[in-house]
Amino acid sequence: MGADLGLRSTAGRQTSRRRPGRPQLIRAAVITVLLLFVLFGFPQLLSLYYIDTMTQVAVYSMVTLALGVLVGRVGLVSLGQVAVLAIGAWVAARLLFATAQPYPVILLEAGLITMVAGMVTGLPALRLRGLYLALITLMLAGAITVVLATVNFPNGGHGFLGYNGSLVHIPPIRRPSVAGSDPAYFRYAVIVAILMFLLVLAHTKTKPGRAWAAIRQSEPAALAAGINTTLYKLWALALASFITGVAGGVLAGAVHYLYSIGFPTQDSITLLAVTLMGGVYSMWGAVVAALLYQFLPALLNNWGVSADWLTILFGLGVLQVLTTAPAGLADQVPKDLARLARLLSRLLGRRTPAPGKTT
Amino acid sequence: MPPWSDFEPFIVSGLALGGVYALSGVGLVVLYRATGVLYLAFGAVGAMGALIAWSLGRENVPGWLTWLVCIAAAAVITLGYGLIFGPALAKRDPLVKAVATIGLTLILYGLMDLLWTSSGGQARSESLPTDNGGFSIGQIQVDWTQVIALAAGVVITVGTGVFLRYTKLGTAMRAMANDREITATLGVPVRKVEAAAWLGCGVLAGVAGLLLADLAALDATTLTFLVISSLAAVLIARLRSITLTFAAAILIGLLHDLLTPITALSNYQNMTPFVLAAAGLLVMSRRRVMTQSREEA
Repeated sequence: MGADLGLRSTAGRQTSRRRPGRPQLIRAAVITVLLLFVLFGFPQLLSLYYIDTMTQVAVYSMVTLALGVLVGRVGLVSLGQVAVLAIGAWVAARLLFATAQPYPVILLEAGLITMVAGMVTGLPALRLRGLYLALITLMLAGAITVVLATVNFPNGGHGFLGYNGSLVHIPPIRRPSVAGSDPAYFRYAVIVAILMFLLVLAHTKTKPGRAWAAIRQSEPAALAAGINTTLYKLWALALASFITGVAGGVLAGAVHYLYSIGFPTQDSITLLAVTLMGGVYSMWGAVVAALLYQFLPALLNNWGVSADWLTILFGLGVLQVLTTAPAGLADQVPKDLARLARLLSRLLGRRTPAPGKTT
Repeated sequence: MPPWSDFEPFIVSGLALGGVYALSGVGLVVLYRATGVLYLAFGAVGAMGALIAWSLGRENVPGWLTWLVCIAAAAVITLGYGLIFGPALAKRDPLVKAVATIGLTLILYGLMDLLWTSSGGQARSESLPTDNGGFSIGQIQVDWTQVIALAAGVVITVGTGVFLRYTKLGTAMRAMANDREITATLGVPVRKVEAAAWLGCGVLAGVAGLLLADLAALDATTLTFLVISSLAAVLIARLRSITLTFAAAILIGLLHDLLTPITALSNYQNMTPFVLAAAGLLVMSRRRVMTQSREEA
């Protein structure tokens, strides 16, 4: 399912560069209608339970989007994204308690501070590659989780950490004045998510996107082609940290109260699993992954089915994604693309029977 | 700084913990060298075995039999995974192979949570009979489980070293660590050697699960993710040397437990493996050579 979605959007991108004609317009129109429906239809149709769930989906679609950029575009596998999300949420919560700044400013600040934190820890880690990089992100995430468990999330206390363990009445983390209610906050979260998706789109369509593609194919070759690999890898890391930080800020307002047990290290592992299942080569994949990660558990919970089945499903999904695409999705996508192109030309173009030409 | 006597008991527990980490780490390194798979499901498999043993123990199955079942269960799951997914992923990047074992981890973790509900369920504990006996060195009480844990770590490390050095199978494994294709060309039954490595790793996972269920806690989450600590030792050894793995594991176990009496740091003691691994990796990656080969970093 993920590969299929990934393939469609990449196909669109391929054709759009050549002839920005009708297909692209149709696609844009469909996406616009879909977004309008999500923004205005969902709050009307869904119960409060599912509106809250969809807010979480919006938040986590940003997180999986960022992870998708790292894994899919640049080839950096991170096993520590939940820790980055926790940093973003922590910074946003602290700023929200300490200042009366408007919410968008707080989100921006949370994103930027998380970005700096991500870059400072990531710069030395970027010397490593592949498996070692993935494992060091796991180690760093483990370390951050331990610190968070001790420091705790701000709860309206004073001092730098803003935590007061003896507070009886804990004030909720505030929301933007324009989005106090749950449906309004849902719209707010979706709009922030859309902005983040556009930000990534702006990157992948331009120079950084091409540099990342080259690095993903082969780092030595990219280096030989004159690409500053360190710069662009760091850039990707900065972008991913920024987006995840912003997502953390949105999460802080969505849940009102933050606890360090809400960000365990193992969630980073599950997050990677769903991101892989959703498809890392497409931005739709991020949405699918977020639905898998947040919507499905809510649905199962509503039905009274244990979420453990979902964990098992994610495990099977990872194995399926990794084994049925023997040379990696990076190799599988162009193959499927060619297959799609053949199919399209057969359907749209000359209606030749050509049965002998099939693979 | 607390007086030295406060630290003494933690030397023993730290060494015991380090012993289990060493045992796990050696299993991970051998499997990685032989098959290229970093087995992240090591902890989950051990936990599964320990939980099965616990359930059997409640049915009045004799202790020794439950321990055997624990080890056998871990070995069977590991071997099964290796036989199914080992060949399918043999030519893939080490990263892909490692992520695939995350899939197994999630499956096992989901199953364990489903079958042995952790939330709201009663706290479980596995205690080996060796907990009761023991001796004391000066003021320090040592129980036999701790001795066994450290001894197992030492024995497995030395034994594996000897095995790799002097036996035919061990030599084949070392050859495969260098080059799988050439080894196959020379007539080594690659699949069989890999299966042996998987089986060995599974047995070690079972032993580690049993010991950790006693030393730490019999809890799916704890045991599943305790593998991250042994992973730290393996990383410091760069997935290569078992001697270094042993040393790093003992260091991690000792440091972790010795931080307990220092109140300013005891909250952070769980960071020990992560910090050591991160520091170790970063220091050792200073001189990076960029290659196109599979063997990276």
